[in-house]
Amino acid sequence: MPTNPSPRNPYQPTPMRVLRAYYESTDRSLKTLELSFENHADSQAFFKKFNPGQFCQLSVFGKGESPLGVASAAWEGDFVRFTIQRMGSVTKALHDLKPGDPLGMRGPLGNGFPLADWKGKNLVIIGGGCAFSTLYALTKHVQHPQNRPDFGQLVVIYGARSSGLCMYKHDIQSWYQRDDMEVHQAIDVPEETWDHHVGYVPDVVKQIAPSPDNAVAIVCGPPIMTKFTLPALVSLGFPPETIFTSLEKRMKCGIGKCGRCNIGSKYICKDGPVFSLAELNALPADI
Amino acid sequence: MTELEAKIRTEAARLLSEGLVDVVVAFRKEDAPLRPQPAFFTNVEDLENLVYNGLCANNLANYLTRFPQETRIGMLVRGCENRSVNALVVEKQHSREKLTLIGIPCTGIIDWRKVVALTGEDILAYEDSAHTLTVRARHQTFALPRQELLHSSCLRCVHPNPLSADILLGEMLPEGDPALIRERVESFEALTRAERTAYFKQEAERCIRCYACREACPMCYCEECFVDHNTPRWTESGTTPAGTHAWHIIRAFHQTGRCTSCGACERACPMDIQMTYLTDKLGKDMWDSYQFAAGMDDQTQPPFASFTLDDKKHFQVGGKQS
Amino acid sequence: MKYILPKHELNALLERWSAEYAVLAPQKAGAYSEFLPFTAPSELCLEEPHNTRYPPKALFFPQSEAILKYKQNLGQLESIEAVPQKRVIFGIRPCDAKAVTLLDTVFAEGDNQDPFWLARRAETLLIGLGCNEPGATCFCTSTESGPFHTDGLDALLTDLGGEYLIELLSERAVGLFGGLTPANPTQQESVQNLQQAAEQALPKAFELDGLKDKLDRVFDQDVWAQLSESCLGCGICTFLCPTCFCFDLVDEAQRDTRVRNWDTCMFRVYSLEASAHNPRPTRKERTRQRLMHKYSYWWEHAGKLGCTGCGRCVRYCPVGLDIRAMLRKASAYESEALHAN
Ligand SMILES: Cc1cc2nc3c(=O)[nH]c(=O)nc-3n(C[C@H](O)[C@H](O)[C@H](O)COP(=O)(O)OP(=O)(O)OC[C@H]3O[C@@H](n4cnc5c(N)ncnc54)[C@H](O)[C@@H]3O)c2cc1C
Ligand code: SF4
Ligand code: SF4
Ligand code: SF4
Ligand code: SF4
Ligand code: FES
Repeated sequence: MPTNPSPRNPYQPTPMRVLRAYYESTDRSLKTLELSFENHADSQAFFKKFNPGQFCQLSVFGKGESPLGVASAAWEGDFVRFTIQRMGSVTKALHDLKPGDPLGMRGPLGNGFPLADWKGKNLVIIGGGCAFSTLYALTKHVQHPQNRPDFGQLVVIYGARSSGLCMYKHDIQSWYQRDDMEVHQAIDVPEETWDHHVGYVPDVVKQIAPSPDNAVAIVCGPPIMTKFTLPALVSLGFPPETIFTSLEKRMKCGIGKCGRCNIGSKYICKDGPVFSLAELNALPADI
Repeated sequence: MTELEAKIRTEAARLLSEGLVDVVVAFRKEDAPLRPQPAFFTNVEDLENLVYNGLCANNLANYLTRFPQETRIGMLVRGCENRSVNALVVEKQHSREKLTLIGIPCTGIIDWRKVVALTGEDILAYEDSAHTLTVRARHQTFALPRQELLHSSCLRCVHPNPLSADILLGEMLPEGDPALIRERVESFEALTRAERTAYFKQEAERCIRCYACREACPMCYCEECFVDHNTPRWTESGTTPAGTHAWHIIRAFHQTGRCTSCGACERACPMDIQMTYLTDKLGKDMWDSYQFAAGMDDQTQPPFASFTLDDKKHFQVGGKQS
Repeated sequence: MKYILPKHELNALLERWSAEYAVLAPQKAGAYSEFLPFTAPSELCLEEPHNTRYPPKALFFPQSEAILKYKQNLGQLESIEAVPQKRVIFGIRPCDAKAVTLLDTVFAEGDNQDPFWLARRAETLLIGLGCNEPGATCFCTSTESGPFHTDGLDALLTDLGGEYLIELLSERAVGLFGGLTPANPTQQESVQNLQQAAEQALPKAFELDGLKDKLDRVFDQDVWAQLSESCLGCGICTFLCPTCFCFDLVDEAQRDTRVRNWDTCMFRVYSLEASAHNPRPTRKERTRQRLMHKYSYWWEHAGKLGCTGCGRCVRYCPVGLDIRAMLRKASAYESEALHAN
């Protein structure tokens, strides 16, 4: 019988406060919240563990919790960024928050991207829709002068349904000026003022045809995009061990206790959300 | 195999082999003692596993909504099942033309819990006959009077005969006495408010919210049940009194003029909770106010689902008094 | 060492314990029995051939429990202390005691241990009662347990008619029982015979050897549709199961609390996502999850089987679905259909 007398309550969120809140999309379906810590010790504990690709459970008291991917890199400052698509009760309540409002956060949760394994590799980052948020965190992390030498070439391919739904617009625009990376943006259907790619992400990926040499590809997007992008990468010559994606499942505890987020014997919250295609191929089809 | 079972198999085989139905919904031989399983038969060979006896406890009409509208279903129906099918046809859950009802006048469903209370669990075999259930247990054989084993809702059944079967197997039975069901409701109505509350609490608060009652009920077919709805949330979650009370009250109200008093909810309940007194009370009110009883035909809309210009609206403040 | 407790001394013992401990035992609750605070010997249900209907896991992991208090607008949080309680759970069956040790692997091992589980577990003794005549729905001997197994127990009692033979299994139990008369060789022998007879009376429910691999191989096969055809998708088999641990976290806004409620993979909404996508859209996928979790995934998580053969899911399934037969059918399907083509 284990006898750890009183571990901390893993369901107890850390108190946070909204620092900045702004819409990402013209239709107001996507909103970014930047949260600051109420206690310095919580901030230290968070950044000690944080790794891009991880997520947190955000609490609106009286409404509940929602798992959301972290959209910021540690070096950006003493805050944590999330971009939230308005779906149901909790995400609506999160959208309603104003700067200064309190909320709770549990995390960082999950494994995040295996950055140590990617040292020296070229990164091909492919995102679609609001799932791009954790890839944004990854890109920001890699861009930092201290981290940049750890990786080879950096290619970012980001698609959205329309220009109005493109997130992090100003920052991404500035990436075109950088000489240490390549950026490709795409929207589904042509628009008058759009001078980037037009088409679905899997097609854009085929068109750009990133090289699989010494590279890893990271794909996050809506299920349908992921479903067609993974085989596109395989046919470009990426071995399944070099393709990564982040999975979503309905979650509650976020720590492998409540049982609900499993695919086969893996809990997405604890063993994931990031998996390589090789790992996914070994799992039963429970998605 | 009983004579009735043989007749059912023959009819089911005919319906399937002549291509008149796509599936026959009936019961299959049990794996666990005393618990024949609802089953969907699609080929004639499988019919050797079809069984029928008093321990077939589920209301098969419950499975009607599992099939696409175009499926031609052959279904075994007793009195209550036939009424449930009727009520579902009224609510357009399946078209009557696609249904072939194999009717069986029902001598009442045996409550397996009452059996094991007398025999113990170790049952090797049993035989159900007109008046006696013979149970061979590990140490002893029991001959039990059937009447004492019937499920409580079957003891007050008014319409044991299938009302609109396409094929009738077995002898029609005398109708039950409507007083039985009224008396139970009236004796409840006669209690003081405190006594009624105490009874309700005692039943409701044992509830573990497994929703077996809902899932076993043919009329609980909502895509999204109010307890599962989260924007807004209608009831408290969990097994607190507030949560269990709300669950039972609202579920009963959703059955007004729809419940056919089959008792499937009570037979499914793992905690022996009895709530049909609530639905029966609402059924009695429907009869007293509108002379309507659910499932008596497959045409008449339940009063709360219908609209007429001359509605007396006596539920409304200022409505016309009758 | 084995001891003897005459049955007429049980009451005095339970009363003595009650002075220091909260004593819980299977007692009458309507037509069935349930673990309740011990009141009187006449209320005890120790003669029933099987376990209680409602599983004793609830004594460690209640069905609904507040885990957090907050002030909605201020965002103030108040932790809920998990207070250890000195308890004796008397008369728990071996299958249910084993289930508690299985749940330890979820709540009390590795990262993020559960303070509520640990607190209730720390000062609770489990005093087991073996099963002389296992019921027809019991199949513990097929699931690496047995009617007299001692996993998780501090002491095991065997009913010898006029007295109990007691096997003390922990230091804590030695203190609890105090001075007892040692069992004589005849008594020891009759216990052995009784225990053997009980084990042998239980038929093998299915072949456990190789079952996991077989289930893994039929994951995407049609057999699950056949097995789950009549399943209602209710919560009975999982809520009553002593090893099921799934839960939901819900804010009860009107009480400013976050509660944890049992949840189940048999419910449609359990895996339903906000986008309306449901990875387990029908009862087929949900039934598969239940059986695969217990008979495959548990092995990978804990190196143990997630079912103790307690029989509750068989006994109380409202449509008579029997997990033993389901496993046999899945296994036969693997041997026949899968290997045929
Ligand atoms: C690892 C992970 C990372 C995510 N990252 C983001 C992100 O960065 N931005 C974003 O907008 N969305 C993200 N999502 C999806 C987001 O969590 C859901 O849209 C959100 O939980 C819906 O909650 P709701 O209360 O608004 O909806 P409701 O429909 O009211 O949901 C009720 C409850 O169901 C659960 N739930 C429903 N759908 C989902 C789902 N798809 N995933 C998890 N739980 C669900 C939640 O517990 C929620 O409280 C992520 C999901 C996961 C699993
Ligand atoms: S079947 Fe019984 S325990 Fe389950 S929800 Fe219905 S009343 Fe409650
Ligand atoms: S108890 Fe039976 S009907 Fe209910 S979910 Fe389990 S297998 Fe299905
Ligand atoms: S799966 Fe069934 S038999 Fe096994 S432990 Fe759970 S309830 Fe008992
Ligand atoms: S996933 Fe299903 S079988 Fe497994 S613990 Fe949860 S409810 Fe039980
Ligand atoms: S969210 Fe609870 S186990 Fe993954």
